[in-house]
Amino acid sequence: MSTGLIVIGVVALVLVWVVATFNRLVALRNRVQNGWAEIDVQLKRRHDLVPSLVETVRGYMEHERSVLETVTQARFGAVAAGNNVLERSVAESALTAALTGLFARVENYPQLQAVESTQLLQEQLTSIENRIAFARQFYNDEVMKYNTAQTTFPRNLFAGMLGFSSASMFTATEGDRAVAQVKLSA
Amino acid sequence: MATLNSVNISPAGQRYSPAVRESFLDAQQRNRRATWRLSALCTLAAVVMGIPLTLVVTPLIYAVILVAADITNYFWKLPASFWQFSGEIAHFGFVALNWLLESHRRHVDPTVLALGIAVMILPGILLSVVLWIAIVALFRRSGVGGALLALKAREPNQAELKELQLADVVQEMAIAAGLPAPRIMLVDAPGANAAAIGTSADDARIIVSRRLLDDLDRDELEGVLAHLIASVGNGDLRIAFRITALFETCGLLVALINSPFGPQSRRVLWRILRYSLWRSSADAAKQEAAAIADMLSRSTGMDGDDIDRFFEKRSRFRSFLTFVFFPIILTNFAIKLSLWFFSNVLLSPSLALLWHTRQYLADASAVQLTRNPDGLASALEKLKEEPGEIPGGDWAAHLFIVNPKPSGRAPTPDLRQKQTIARAWAASEPHAGAAASPIAPIAFQAMQEQLTATMRAAFAGDVQAMDRLRTLYQNVAAADPALAAQFPNPDDLFAARRGDMSARLRLRASEKKPAPQPQAQPEAANTDTSSSSTMSLVGFHSSMKRRLKRLARMGAHPNLEPSDRKGTMVAAVIYAIFAPFGLLIAGGLLFLISIMTLASLTFLVVWLAFIHEAFKLLGHA
Repeated sequence: MSTGLIVIGVVALVLVWVVATFNRLVALRNRVQNGWAEIDVQLKRRHDLVPSLVETVRGYMEHERSVLETVTQARFGAVAAGNNVLERSVAESALTAALTGLFARVENYPQLQAVESTQLLQEQLTSIENRIAFARQFYNDEVMKYNTAQTTFPRNLFAGMLGFSSASMFTATEGDRAVAQVKLSA
Repeated sequence: MATLNSVNISPAGQRYSPAVRESFLDAQQRNRRATWRLSALCTLAAVVMGIPLTLVVTPLIYAVILVAADITNYFWKLPASFWQFSGEIAHFGFVALNWLLESHRRHVDPTVLALGIAVMILPGILLSVVLWIAIVALFRRSGVGGALLALKAREPNQAELKELQLADVVQEMAIAAGLPAPRIMLVDAPGANAAAIGTSADDARIIVSRRLLDDLDRDELEGVLAHLIASVGNGDLRIAFRITALFETCGLLVALINSPFGPQSRRVLWRILRYSLWRSSADAAKQEAAAIADMLSRSTGMDGDDIDRFFEKRSRFRSFLTFVFFPIILTNFAIKLSLWFFSNVLLSPSLALLWHTRQYLADASAVQLTRNPDGLASALEKLKEEPGEIPGGDWAAHLFIVNPKPSGRAPTPDLRQKQTIARAWAASEPHAGAAASPIAPIAFQAMQEQLTATMRAAFAGDVQAMDRLRTLYQNVAAADPALAAQFPNPDDLFAARRGDMSARLRLRASEKKPAPQPQAQPEAANTDTSSSSTMSLVGFHSSMKRRLKRLARMGAHPNLEPSDRKGTMVAAVIYAIFAPFGLLIAGGLLFLISIMTLASLTFLVVWLAFIHEAFKLLGHA
């Protein structure tokens, strides 16, 4: 009689623990997905910002047509890349590189730097690059938490059974590494 | 983030480098554990403080109930079971009291003893808890709107570079923390300071003084805002709100006990009652809530009390009242003394230590968000050097990143200067003849009110008001240039408001002179000097040096002098000498409190018995 009660109690405890684990993993997975969506939102924001930036500097940079052209092309490429992760990351890296090139040139035009609207735009661009970087950082932190929660004992015995699989980190491509060498902020 | 490699690392000798390294994740974990330990300590402190308090408050509750019952009984007979029941309760109480007072303990039935102690303590505890819940509910409803109005906060202007940068950095940090971005409010205050205020993460707002934006670069700003947003994300606002509510509950308790003796406490109670019954969401209501909170947090102070004023007025009637109400007055003193002693020696220090660990935790979380410990470190180094004064920020001093209290008192203009200003003010009126200005009775107070109203209108964009202020300034300058130099030029003020950089610099230069603008908020200045800030052994702001050292362990490179060994030795010796005296004083105070508590209990019981018998006689007659 009493052994039966003990067995029932242990089973109930294990069930409670499994339910709690499941809920925790779901919460973590949702945060990971949210982090991924945030990166997407910020990349879209950058697409929207680029045309006005190009318009602002066009008047001053008549001699730099090719640079502006590269930026515009890169933006088109990024917008058109669609949802394929690999294609998209290549296109976005190209856009980052093009913008970096543009800003390197802008620093050669003192009269352009003095214009307030350029400063505001530059700030916006610095900010959007930062936002993308921070969104990635948040995503990676959340992936780390999620993966740790799944792979530590004894959760690793159940995680697979409950249908959780490890998420992958956002790693920088070669283009991104190049960006990190350039000082962007004003 | 993007300027990670622009952090300049100067020769190693000048920079402080810690012996141990610690990752920000470890630091967070350590501080979270410390939070648990210190919360336990705070709970203990609250319980220890509560025991004498409830011991004194409970008999008062019984007294009120008994007197009310006697009066009711006089007009309308209460059932005999009521008197029997109260007799039993009193019996239990007396058993417990006897047991406490006796030197050689007789054996008492433990259940009776437990019941007796419950009878002695429970009603007081119940009352305190109910008051606390009521306070929390009351102020959660009002939110932080009133406080923001008091600070004269405004929205940032996105067309101005620095303010756009602020908005951007807040967004970035919110993304890094995975939180919805809080709203930002700017304050045009003389100090460089920032705070996250609110009752919880849902209604959090970031308050930044404009000067902070001018003084910090982007990385430093990022560090400061990361600290604030991390603090919101860690749930500090909820903790701070509870702490404030705790002190306000103490204030309410004192106000309740004082209410028979003074109009001021009655006014506070009446305002609370009116506020909790009138349902409106207007700005006035929010301001009312802020004012009540301010009054409550002040009424725990030992000075300027109603009861002192009660004794000041001497008359035969008063002496009679004093004689009649003596037990209640004694109880009142016992409560206030124990509140003052325990809150300053026990509760405030432990709450302050708890708050320090929350600050360290927010620093560590900020490093996690920015991955740039040097940004926050150099921001803190700059803030350490500058005044952080935010007028109207006293009520939330612990939420600011550096203490917003003014460092010195603003000198008030003397009589001659007042007259000059008043004459200039009268002359600046558009329709008044300049020669007609009367010299004799000048209502400076009324003029100040008009002036404040005009300034508010001018800042809201009223052209006439701006013109009048300009004329006033010119008039004052013509009469007394030295006096005019104490005030900021109105043109600069308006331009600075619009975001003009050079005007802001001129204002900064005028602030460097001794007198900060006395006209800015005359009424606030008056009330501030009358209230003494509650003193405590430990401040709510942890020392910058300690914070910088902890940041250095996480990889920052602050400029810190190595700690002065000799100085710490001297301090230790001084502490060792004075600690016994401090302990002696504390012991003496504790003894006094226990004596007063017991005396007030005894007197109250005698008093009650007397009144009860008197009513009995009246009833028989």
